[in-house]
Amino acid sequence: MADLVLQLSRVAYERCGRRLLDGVGLSLRAGEAAALVGANGAGKTTLLRAAAGLLPATTGDITATGLDPRTAAPAAAARRRIYAEQHPSCAWDQTVAELGALGSRPAAWKDWAGRLALTDLAERPLASLSGGERQAAHLARLFASLEEPYGALLLLDEPTAALDRGRRETVHAAVRAWAQAGAAVLVATHDEAWARAFPRVIALEEGRLIADGPPAAVFTAGLVRAVWAGSPA
Amino acid sequence: MRLGRGALIAGTAALGLLAAGALACGTAGGGFGEGGALALLRFPRVAAAIAAGAALGLGGATQQGLFRNPLADPGLTGVFGGALLGLAVLLGGAPGFAWAHAWSLPAAAFAGALGVSGLLVLLGREGPPARLLLTGLGLNAFAAAGTLLIANLAPESRELLLNGSFGDWLGMASPELIIRPVLICAGAGAALLTLARPLDLLALGEEAAQTAGCDLRRLRRRAIVLTALAAAAATCLVGQMAFVGLLAPHLARALVGPRHGLVLPLSAVLGAALLLTADTLGRAALPGTPLSAAAVMALLGAPLFVWIARRHHG
Repeated sequence: MADLVLQLSRVAYERCGRRLLDGVGLSLRAGEAAALVGANGAGKTTLLRAAAGLLPATTGDITATGLDPRTAAPAAAARRRIYAEQHPSCAWDQTVAELGALGSRPAAWKDWAGRLALTDLAERPLASLSGGERQAAHLARLFASLEEPYGALLLLDEPTAALDRGRRETVHAAVRAWAQAGAAVLVATHDEAWARAFPRVIALEEGRLIADGPPAAVFTAGLVRAVWAGSPA
Repeated sequence: MRLGRGALIAGTAALGLLAAGALACGTAGGGFGEGGALALLRFPRVAAAIAAGAALGLGGATQQGLFRNPLADPGLTGVFGGALLGLAVLLGGAPGFAWAHAWSLPAAAFAGALGVSGLLVLLGREGPPARLLLTGLGLNAFAAAGTLLIANLAPESRELLLNGSFGDWLGMASPELIIRPVLICAGAGAALLTLARPLDLLALGEEAAQTAGCDLRRLRRRAIVLTALAAAAATCLVGQMAFVGLLAPHLARALVGPRHGLVLPLSAVLGAALLLTADTLGRAALPGTPLSAAAVMALLGAPLFVWIARRHHG
């Protein structure tokens, strides 16, 4: 189907004898945003990394923006896909603006730096920032690198975990806007309220896909217990 | 404060002045001599110091960028040691062949440097940064011991190899000896400059660089082969030389920030300036008691390095 941006079929991945992904199948169309939920160790990050082509040993079929990311040339695969790591890092003593200049478009970076409240921090070294400010700086760089949202794929691994409320709401709005502009967005998150705001929620448990649908159908009492065990549901 | 392109222009101009000074300085009489005769005699040595220094600076900057490690330097990670071991094997085993075929010297040094680089990547890349350095230090010690062993077994090459171990080969510079290594330094250096963008992306980590479009395998392959080539050619010119590859990139980053588009060329300019200064001071500062460029480099470089380390991490 022309609109299909991400398609996974029977995707499996094993490491150190442990099955981290077990026969996962899902597809995302252009304009679709989905939250990926699951307890720690359920396979959310592994699924996003597999979709980003970072796990060459993954078995099964993966198509992202028309390419198999495991075998496609990195430059071709990166053209229409961004992947936000859970714990981004940066070597050397870079400033926020220097990080922003890595692979992003300058005008777009200025815009995102403004939206994520980074303009006043632009000349500060990353090492002098808080964890949340650093996460925002990495997101601004990534968001500013995407040229054409229609048909693009955004794989975001807990992008708001360290952010304050203002920046969190900016990212929430950005995800909605990307989807409205025709991108497919898959976001791993532990933020239950945010996950409930997505039109579609995909739940993982021990590497298997256990639920996929609108939040009202997916968020059953059993799933909430399984995913947010220990947290007040 | 970061200086940008101005630092590169100023550095290149300063290198030109240093070169003119080096051509004019000497124990065999100061100045350029009658019709530039003295300068002409000193020219191969000055050219060799500039080419080797630039290659060492670029090699250090590339290795630091590739391994995301500020202490990675071909001098510490054994790549220069491997180059010298390659030369020792050739000069110890087949000295007649080596001197009859001048190309075989850089070729042997390249084989040694590439061998050590391959082992370094194979054994030390994964895991914490300390593993890479410890692996490199081990390889370096092994290569140095191998060179000494060969020097002891091959009396006709013994003095030459010992001088190489002490970074004291610049004094032998002659047009015939330096032409090939200087050309290799220039070629490998120019090719290394093209790695600026992927090295910038690699600062984000391997996975982020790959998902941003960096072809890691290609980058690694090119960086390792070209660094080995630059290290081999530099070793043919000066012998073992510590600190230049470590210091030049640190100074460059302190001046212009972390972008490799500026760090790489500035590391080359600063590496050339450092080695040329060390060599000129060593041969001209104390008439009658010349000091090897490596010794002067260590005397000047060690305190400078401690200062940089304190400034950045204090």
